[in-house]
Amino acid sequence: MKAIESIPDSQLLLFKSCMVGQEYPGVETSTRYVFDRLGVDYCINDKQSCCTGIGHYTDVFEGLTTTAIAARNFAVARSCGYPNITCLCSTCYAINKEACEVLNTNTEIREKVNSIFREQGLENLVYEKDDMNPRTNFYHAVEILLSKVNEIQKQKKFDFSGVKAAAHHACHYYKVKYLDVLGNPENPQLIDTIAAACGAEPVRWYEDRTLTCGMGFSQLHLNKDTSLQVTKTKLDSLQKAGVELMIHMCPNCHIQYDRYQPVIEEEFDVKYDMVHMNIAQFVALSMGAHPYKVCGFQTHSVPLEEFLEKKGIV
Amino acid sequence: MIPYVNEYDTPECNTLAETAKKSIRTPASLGLDRCIQCGACTASCPAARFTDYSPRQIVKKVMENDRSVLESEMIWSCFYCYSCNVRCPRNNSPVTIVQVLRQMAINEGIGVEKLAYFLEIGEYLAENGASKVPGAGVKNMERDLGERWIRFKKNLESTRVELGLSSRDIRNTNGEVQAILEATGYFEREKWIKAKIQEKRLHRLLKNQCINKENKSGDFSFESDREYSGQPAFTI
Repeated sequence: MKAIESIPDSQLLLFKSCMVGQEYPGVETSTRYVFDRLGVDYCINDKQSCCTGIGHYTDVFEGLTTTAIAARNFAVARSCGYPNITCLCSTCYAINKEACEVLNTNTEIREKVNSIFREQGLENLVYEKDDMNPRTNFYHAVEILLSKVNEIQKQKKFDFSGVKAAAHHACHYYKVKYLDVLGNPENPQLIDTIAAACGAEPVRWYEDRTLTCGMGFSQLHLNKDTSLQVTKTKLDSLQKAGVELMIHMCPNCHIQYDRYQPVIEEEFDVKYDMVHMNIAQFVALSMGAHPYKVCGFQTHSVPLEEFLEKKGIV
Repeated sequence: MIPYVNEYDTPECNTLAETAKKSIRTPASLGLDRCIQCGACTASCPAARFTDYSPRQIVKKVMENDRSVLESEMIWSCFYCYSCNVRCPRNNSPVTIVQVLRQMAINEGIGVEKLAYFLEIGEYLAENGASKVPGAGVKNMERDLGERWIRFKKNLESTRVELGLSSRDIRNTNGEVQAILEATGYFEREKWIKAKIQEKRLHRLLKNQCINKENKSGDFSFESDREYSGQPAFTI
């Protein structure tokens, strides 16, 4: 299990996420807004590519390609002096952490990847065993926020007192490498703890708390009915618990709940009262960020206007 | 067409279990041999909750070296949520075993049409260093999500600029990603998959209408006489 004291606040490569960039760019700007104010030492490097997660989990990329692309990104992180890869997306986190483990423990794959780099004249990308540590070089941005929760509370400009919030902790953060998670993988409380520091009232346990969002990579497109049924199950449970705000840590889950909530309402003839945010957007908002110029709420499908007005933010 | 060889995902071994254990997709400590068929995986599984999908049965088939599992629609229902991975008391990982089975099926040209949807991810990644929702998925989303989403997508570039980001999320990979995808054999495999899909479409076209739908559900009848029909593919 990870110890909160071991979470670094320097030399973080803020790992760009494709789904954040294309669907919820405000998650990236909110994270930067918060990191800047917390004095976190991070950098963003345009040389960093996609982790391959979308292709890997739709069975399009094979393991060798995924591992080689990861090794390239590790070289990008090391060469700019920011080797602590910090992800906005839980799938990037899982892919990178797993690829690092493979590169360190599987000599055959490591040598194959390196021979590809040499063959292509990319010697600068060569990965030597233990160049990166799967336990100490890979983080999710939410872990950094949790480690700074006291500072967040101190800098809080807006109090979310009385907001009934529920957390959705991403599967690829806590179920893939489950031995290396902050807290209990059966009941992670990262988002809840941060939300509470901003004054919200997290619903600590609700029915089907650990259920996946239902996106399932190819499932949303190949088996849409099942996919939406899974999503609906959790939305039903949150509605029953009287939740008004659902807080996310992964753009894939965020898409599934925020984009498809109106679709589910229409297809299943139901009505939900909750809005959606990423935890970084929520923290940024409580630290005084502009809901549209920083948090980027204009890209959301479930409109937040009513929620923001009711809470007196706009 | 000859089967495709994908040596790291699906190393050639005498049994399905050996391939699963040696694959790059499964953890080195995979507890497949320790499986006690307790069913914690199926009990935890979101797909099992709404369909006849059963990770426990899939693992049983693998342990019995029953290759008919590759023909089963079942293996295409996993969400890759890793709930079975975290819950298994014997450190087995049905979710990663299913990934190996899908790769084995693809090598034999089974289920390749399910990849058609996602194949442009590779080329887009090589060109832009980023991934995106494939075109077919965008069309689905346009239909499902309607005006609001289409409008947001149209304004994406100006929204990004407003937020202080570059207008498009394009990475500066200096051709390195392209070179890597070429050298790992990704493009070669993509070409093979596309040709296989084409071949199957042609085949289906030729013998369409005259025969009944072939039963590709695999044999799971040892405890369920219901056929697993899967979900109808969501066509565009």
